[in-house]
Amino acid sequence: MSELRVSRKANGENVRPIRQALRAFLHTLDVDDTKIDDIVTAAGEALANAIEHAYGPTQRGEVELHARAGPLRLTVDVSDTGRFVERSRRSGRGYGLRIVDAIADEVEIDHGSHGTRIRMGFALSRQSPSLHAVE
Amino acid sequence: MMDQSSVQIIALAGELDVSRGDEVMERLSAPTTAKSILLDLSEVTYADSTVIAALFAFREQAERERQRIAVLIESPQLVRLLQYAGLQEAFPIFLERSEALSHLVST
Repeated sequence: MSELRVSRKANGENVRPIRQALRAFLHTLDVDDTKIDDIVTAAGEALANAIEHAYGPTQRGEVELHARAGPLRLTVDVSDTGRFVERSRRSGRGYGLRIVDAIADEVEIDHGSHGTRIRMGFALSRQSPSLHAVE
Repeated sequence: MMDQSSVQIIALAGELDVSRGDEVMERLSAPTTAKSILLDLSEVTYADSTVIAALFAFREQAERERQRIAVLIESPQLVRLLQYAGLQEAFPIFLERSEALSHLVST
């Protein structure tokens, strides 16, 4: 089982480094480039959703991405510790969750008392089992 | 038949994500008097759904002003983003600059 856990302050500027960390992690797994793009796209939507909806204008918490890869399956969790805040800004976020649904094989959204977690499952078809282990 | 010099080009590059939402929206909703606009996203390397709201604003403004538009996209990631959102037919998208310009200059 390979694993990646990244946590950052929840602001827009931090989404890119989290995406880059996920992309680098996926490159260690022998996943093809199109699949990598799609998984990063889905995770990017979940991260953007967390940043736009978890925290109010004066409230900033953390957003975390946790990815776990087995031989045939990848699970990516994006979690925040905020409470859902409806924002009036113009946004394509309604499409964001549609995009996540279209890419991931399974999606679970858990609005708990301590925040929201979006769990995405992806089937992996790799050329060969990876021997890499990433902390 | 218009010549290509009457086409205004709006170009955005790099990663268009949630951190650039306001900038992208401002660029795509800025008023212009051009009759034809090429939205050149050929240098965009990644986009999230932030760009979708801006594309709708761009299209709506062009419809109000009776402007002809074309959107040039080269990134497969951005093409698939729009497909996953079910929006592959929502905008006049072109993968080749020459085809985008032909669309704009034809009557």
